[in-house]
Order: sequence, then structure tokens, then C-alpha cells
Amino acid sequence: MSLLTVEHLKKVYVTRFGGNKVEALKDVNFTVEQGEYVAIMGESGSGKTTLLNILASLDKPTAGKVILNGTDTSKIKENDLAEFRRDHLGFVFQEFNLLDTFSLEDNIFLPMVLARKNHQEMQERLAPIAKKLGIAELLKKYPYEISGGQKQRVAVARALMNHPQILLADEPTGALDSKSTDELLGLFSDINKDGQTILMVTHSVKAASHAGRVLFIKDGEVFHQLYRGENTREQFYQKISDTLTLLQAGGEKR
Amino acid sequence: MRGAFFPKLAISGIKKNGQVYYPYLLTCIVMVMMFYIMHSLSGSPLMKDFKGGGSVSTCLGLAKFVIAIFAFLFLLYTNSFLNRRRYKEFGLYHVLGMGKRGLRRIVFWENLFSAVAGLGGGLLFGILFSKLAELLLANIVKYQVDYSFRVDVKAITFTVEMFGLIFVLLMIKSLITVQMTKSLELFQSEKLGEKPPKTNWVLAILGLALLVGAYVIACSIKAPLTALFAFFVAVAMVIVATYFLFIAGSVVVCRILKGNKKYYYQKNHFVSVSSMIFRMRRNGAGLASICILCTMVLVMLSSSSCMYFGLKDTVAGRFCRDMEISVHPPMLSDLENGGNEKLFNAIDLIVEKEGVKPQNVLQYVYGSTTIMIKGNHVLDGREFEEALEGLGDVAQMDKLRYLVTISLDDYNRIMGTELTLGEEEAFIYAINVKYQESNLLLWGKEWKIKENLKEMFPLGEMEASVIPVIVLVVPDLSIFNPLFQPKENGLSDLDLSWYYGCDLDESKEKIMEVYNNLRHGLFQREELSFIKDVDGGYYYYSSCKVAEVDEMLGMYGGVFFIGIILSILFISAMVLIIYYKQISEGFEDQKRFEIMQKVGMTKKDIKQSISSQVLTVFFAPLVLAGVHVAFAFPMIWRILQLLYVRNLTLLILISIAAFLIFGIFYAALYALTAKTYYRIVSGAATN
Repeated sequence: MSLLTVEHLKKVYVTRFGGNKVEALKDVNFTVEQGEYVAIMGESGSGKTTLLNILASLDKPTAGKVILNGTDTSKIKENDLAEFRRDHLGFVFQEFNLLDTFSLEDNIFLPMVLARKNHQEMQERLAPIAKKLGIAELLKKYPYEISGGQKQRVAVARALMNHPQILLADEPTGALDSKSTDELLGLFSDINKDGQTILMVTHSVKAASHAGRVLFIKDGEVFHQLYRGENTREQFYQKISDTLTLLQAGGEKR
Repeated sequence: MRGAFFPKLAISGIKKNGQVYYPYLLTCIVMVMMFYIMHSLSGSPLMKDFKGGGSVSTCLGLAKFVIAIFAFLFLLYTNSFLNRRRYKEFGLYHVLGMGKRGLRRIVFWENLFSAVAGLGGGLLFGILFSKLAELLLANIVKYQVDYSFRVDVKAITFTVEMFGLIFVLLMIKSLITVQMTKSLELFQSEKLGEKPPKTNWVLAILGLALLVGAYVIACSIKAPLTALFAFFVAVAMVIVATYFLFIAGSVVVCRILKGNKKYYYQKNHFVSVSSMIFRMRRNGAGLASICILCTMVLVMLSSSSCMYFGLKDTVAGRFCRDMEISVHPPMLSDLENGGNEKLFNAIDLIVEKEGVKPQNVLQYVYGSTTIMIKGNHVLDGREFEEALEGLGDVAQMDKLRYLVTISLDDYNRIMGTELTLGEEEAFIYAINVKYQESNLLLWGKEWKIKENLKEMFPLGEMEASVIPVIVLVVPDLSIFNPLFQPKENGLSDLDLSWYYGCDLDESKEKIMEVYNNLRHGLFQREELSFIKDVDGGYYYYSSCKVAEVDEMLGMYGGVFFIGIILSILFISAMVLIIYYKQISEGFEDQKRFEIMQKVGMTKKDIKQSISSQVLTVFFAPLVLAGVHVAFAFPMIWRILQLLYVRNLTLLILISIAAFLIFGIFYAALYALTAKTYYRIVSGAATN
């Protein structure tokens, strides 16, 4: 059985005035296996973010379902959603979303504290993660004292603390310079090698080329998908790039 | 053309930031208005008309300066808040090529405009409302005024001068702020990641020490006479301590909590504690101001209303009879000649002639003087004079007593008792002090204290003495004969007095009439011709309760009125502080709660966290204010005693009532603020 199954996902937004309907997702179907590294690509407005929000159970689908490890997320009660997110999902955002009132360590601990874990356990879990992400020296600092790349690594550490079944990343490299981007993508590959399932939304070809599989979304549907297979990263990069060109050209012809 | 550029920018800046600017202008207007009203009232013709107006006028004059100082501090606070909000805009101008010079110009014009608006509006409303305030005061002191309108040019001039100075200082401060800030900081200041506040142990401990010190002073002062000075010292200490505690102490407390890992890493504490550190940094000074305002309003309301509403008791305590006369003959020989009997008879005759019947007649002879007492030993002669020179010393002050001696016969007659005393024995009755010695060494004679009396007939004015009173009941007053005799300097060691007091069951006007006739007629009488010669050492003191009531009503009513006015001022200041706090915090916390929700905080958690934080922020000042008032209570009580307030129960009840009314008002304000706050914060969380 797949770790994540998305079936006939549909999302229609009704604008506040006049009742105009906007179909963000039409019919999205895909599965993610345990240990996979999947990138979702698409142009602005293709429904990427809507999809991620639904996967993250921050938003509810109009129709269809999302099954994570056998649980239909749309059936989870509103009150239990936060807990579900905390226990099963990890998030990395474009804007890092670190709280400036917490030290980096406390930022990382936040989900654990919310899950009422004890301090000892948190420390034990953090040590290897911090080491791996190269932030062990920074933990006592505050967000305002560190660079964007460091902030994003802290955010990754926070996402990994609960050993999430799936790590959801929304344009994780969007706010980073190229050096930090490379570092972060390297880290993602590493943690994926350790068995962490990753689902990343991006429109950076470079970022997507690190993934094992790329899904292309267009007009609310999965338009195409590419497996990296035995390709080198450069070859995969080229393939993704070609597909995007095709996608855009197709868009323009219409 | 170019000349109008900066003024225009300034005006548009004010308009664009109306959300924060208009309340500031409103504050300026209210402060100026209050100041003008106070000033014009203190010079109002009403003050010259009603009894006690003089003292009210003086109080108003002082209150006026309190307002000026308060206005300065408060406007400084709101002004710095304004500046902070403006940074981003200034930063943008700066990036677009405007130099510091230009920014200074904008700041200059903005300050000028707000000063003009504040002064103009304040004076306008001040002139409009000063009549209303006058009518309110007249109503409280139960006095009639005409409805003519008055514009006080002198008050206007002084207000403009005073607030002109304040506004100039504010402008200098704003200019310095702009000058000192770097350009990039100007642009970023709104979203600059905040540094966690430094833990300032020194300030926190100093704050605590000052607070404890102030509390100790407040509780340890025994003599009301010295309390007045100590009160101001303690008040200053409390104000400083409150600021230190809210600014540094709160951070220290949060740090300690944070240091306790077991406590800190718990769902309910984690977010609250770490946010509180920042929140206190941002609000420490504001909360301290609120706390002090609360305390001021509470103290003012409870003490002034206690004085006003307790007036009846006060008067009853101070003037034990409707009409009182006491005559001080120079020599005891007059007592031996029955001078006192002649006086009392003459009074009876006059009162009888007026066709009224005196009731509760009280007449006795007493000796009185101020002494200093050390254990059971009354200092005399040189000792006393040396001690008097050391009177600046607070410790010496505590030894002062007012000694009253009466004869056992008078006591038994008035009280209806049949007590007896041996030759060298005396009864003692102490007011506002305890006398626990078994004997009393008085002017070389030892009195054995047979008993501490439980009851004493009303001593009127003497009971209201600011220094503690000791009443000594001796077998026969003639034992003091030598002491009653004047010495070379014309003064005697012990003053002899004949006291007469009675109640009259008549109208106020009739009582006044009888009193006046008595006062003027008494010493015209043949049989009292020996008193006529006032130069010969006789003097007398008389009082009429109803006339005194008018006087006190004027004075206490005036104080009550000032209490109300200042309370309104302080409360409106508080509302504004809270308003600023709420809008600034709501927007800053928006993003934070959005993130927390993303990383797995439920809406319920967020609500809980918000309410626990806002609740703490809100009620910490009120709670501390309550503690301040509780500790200030003994001091307030002693100071009120100076002002002849004698009803402790009333003071306690009024204090509690004031606290409750205030608490309700405060809670309503909290509810309103919390609601707005939720709206701002959740506005982001749901999007």
C-alpha cells in the first residue's frame, strides 16, 4: 500500500462576492510510496499551493480524498487536525516561518512541546538532527542573528523532529541564495537517503532535479510525470526543463 | 511652492496615520483643556465666595502642576509610540532620496501642527467646559453661582506657555530620535527581528528593594505629622520601583521560569513564557504607567470621597457640640474666685434669653500643654527645650504628646461615675497612643496610674490633635496652681481653660443667631468684666458647628472635586495607553500566531495562549495597584486623620468600592481590547 494516495481531488473556490467559481484543482490523482522524494511542479496558478494546503490538511477538498498511511484526512475532525499535522506531517516553508520570540532550539522544539513530549526526549531527538543539519552550534541563537540558509535548516530540523511520515516542503529554496539552495537540496537528498519521504512543491527546475520523481500540474490536473530512474542529475534537469517548455508551449497554443 | 512641500507632507502623514495620530491629538487636547480648566477655576470668583475656597484654590493650583508633569510624561510616551509607527514611512522617504534634513523638517512640521491643534483645541474646549466644571464644583460644595461666561486671559497665557514648553521638548525629542537612527534602520524598523531583551538583574533587584523599602516606610510611620513627608518619599520610591519591576523584573521572572526546563517545556507555558519576555519589553513602561495611574486613581477616589462623605462624622468628632466656647484665664486666682462659675452662669443666661433650650451641656475646667515624653518621664525645662531644638529629627517628633488634665470631680460629674483617687493617684486616658507605664513623672511629681480609663467625654478639638493626646485625671486641679501661673515671658507651663459646649435643637439660622449673640454679648456682661481685659492675658476660642460645616464642606468638596477631575484625566490616559498597546501588539502578533498554527497549534491553543497573556498583561498592573493601595492604606489613613477624618470603616468600604468599580471598568476595557485583539490576530490566522 502506498504511503500517500490522492484520489480525484477537486477544489473549487467561490469568490466572496458574486459567487464566481474558480476551479483550482480539477481531478488530481497520484500516489507516493514510502521513502520517495517527489517534486510537484507547475506554473503560478496551476494549483500547486492549493494541493499542498490540502495535503497538509490546512484546507479541505471540495471532492476526492487524501489517504495518508491508511487515514482519510478529510474524515479527521476539525479539532484533531492540528494534532494530526503535528504527529504525521513535517513542514518546510518558503518564508521559514520561524518565531522571532523563540531561540532556534525552542523553535525546533515547538511542535514537540505542543505534542506534550518531555524535555529530555526532545534533547535526545534534536542532537542527531542538529548535527546532520549543521546547526548544532547555532541552537541558542535567535532567528534575527542567522542567515536565510541557516534559518531554513532550522525549519527543516523542526519539521523532522516528530519523525513525520511525510515532509511537505513549499518552495523551500524560494527565499535562498544559490549557495544556500545547493546546501539545502543536498540536505534534502541526504535525509531522503535515510528513508524520509519528501513531497516538495517548487518551480525551480534545479530543486526538482534532486527529486526521484517530478509531477507536473497544469490547470488543476496532473499533466505529466517524470522518473529520474538511472539519469544523472544533469540529464534529469534537462528532461524536466524540456517538459516544462512543452508544458508552457502547449499553454500558449491554446 | 517648495516652502509648502514639507508642511504638506507632514499633514498627509498625520492624516494617513490617523489611527495612531488622532488619539494622540485628542490626548493633547484633553491635557491642555484640563490644565486650562484647573488654572481658570483656581482664579475663579467662586473661590473667593465660598468658605474654604482659598484652600481649594491652592489645591487646584497644585493639581494643575501635577497635570502638567503628567501631561509631559504621558505625551512623551504616546509621542515615542507615534515615532515608532512613522519609521517605515520616514525610511521610505529616506530611501527615495530625502536627507535627514528633510526628515527633520517633516518632524518639525508634524510636531508644530499637533502642538497648534492640541493647544487650539484644548483651549477651545477648556473655555467651553470650564463653566461646566465650575458648576459641578459649586454643586458639590452646595454653593450658588451665576451662569455668566468667563474667558480667563491669564489662564490662556499660562497654558500656552506651559504647553508650549512641553511641545518644544517633545519636538526636540522627536528630532533627536530621527537624527540618531540610521537610514536602513528607519526603513526596516517595523519588521526588524527583535532581539530578546537583556536580563537586567540590577534593575530588577533594585526595583524590588525600593518597593519593599517603600512598603516598610508606609507601614512603619506612626506619627501622622511625619507621615506627610514620608508619604512623598514612599510615593516616589513606589513609582520608580513599579517601573523597574515591570521593565526589568518581569523579564527576570520570565527568565527564571524559562530556566526551569520542566516548567518551561510544557504546552501551556512554552508559548506564553517566551512571548511574555518580548511583550514585557514592549509594554513594561506602559504597564508600569497603567499601574501607577490605577494606584493614583484608587487612592484619590477613595480618600477624597471618604473625606467628602465622611464629613458628618468628621465634624461630629471635631466639634462635639453645636456651640462651643473656651476661655483661657491667665491666673488660677480667677478659678479660686469662681470665675468659671460666673462664665458658665452668664452663658446660661444669654442662651435662656434667646428663648432656646441648651442640650447636652458640657462644662469643665482643664489644663493643657504640649509635652515630650520618654517612657514614663515627661521632659521638663531645659530637657524639653533641648529636645525641641532637635524637632527636625523624626524620632523626637514621635515623643510629642498633648497633655490634658482634668479634675476627678468634673470627670465623675460628666460621666456619671463615682470613681475615687488617692492623693498621688491619677487616671489616664490616651488617644491615638498607648500608655502602659504604671506611673508618670510629671514636673518633679510622681503620679501613680490607678487605671487606664476606657471612656472619656468628648474633648472636641483636642481629640483632633495631630499629636497623640494623654488625658490625666487628677484628684484636684489646684495641685497645678504654680504651673498655671505665667512666667516672665508671659507663658505658663500649663494653660488653664474653661470650657462650655451645648447642642441646640434649632434651625441652622437660629443656631447661628444664638451663637453670634452669645459671642458678642457674653463679654459685655457686668459679671464677666474681669474677662474683658483681653490684654490681661485672657483669650477665648469659640466655634459654631454649622458655620464650620460650611467651611469644611467647601474644602472637602473642593478636594473631592479635584479627585474626580484628576481621576477622569488619569482614566482617559489609561484608556489611551491600552488602545495603543492593543493596536501595536495585535499587528505584531498576527504573523506569529499564523506560524504557530502552521506548525500544529490548534485555534483553541492559540485562544488560550492569547487570553492567558493578555490577561496577565492586563491585570498585573491592577493587581500590583491593589497591593500598592493596601500597603499605602495605613499611611493614607494617618494622613486623613490629619484632616480630621475619623471613620476607618468608611475608608475601608470606600476603598474596596473604588477598587471594585475600577475593576469592573477595567474588566470591560479588557473585554473590549481582547476582542479587538482577537479580531486582528485571527484575521491573519484564518486567511
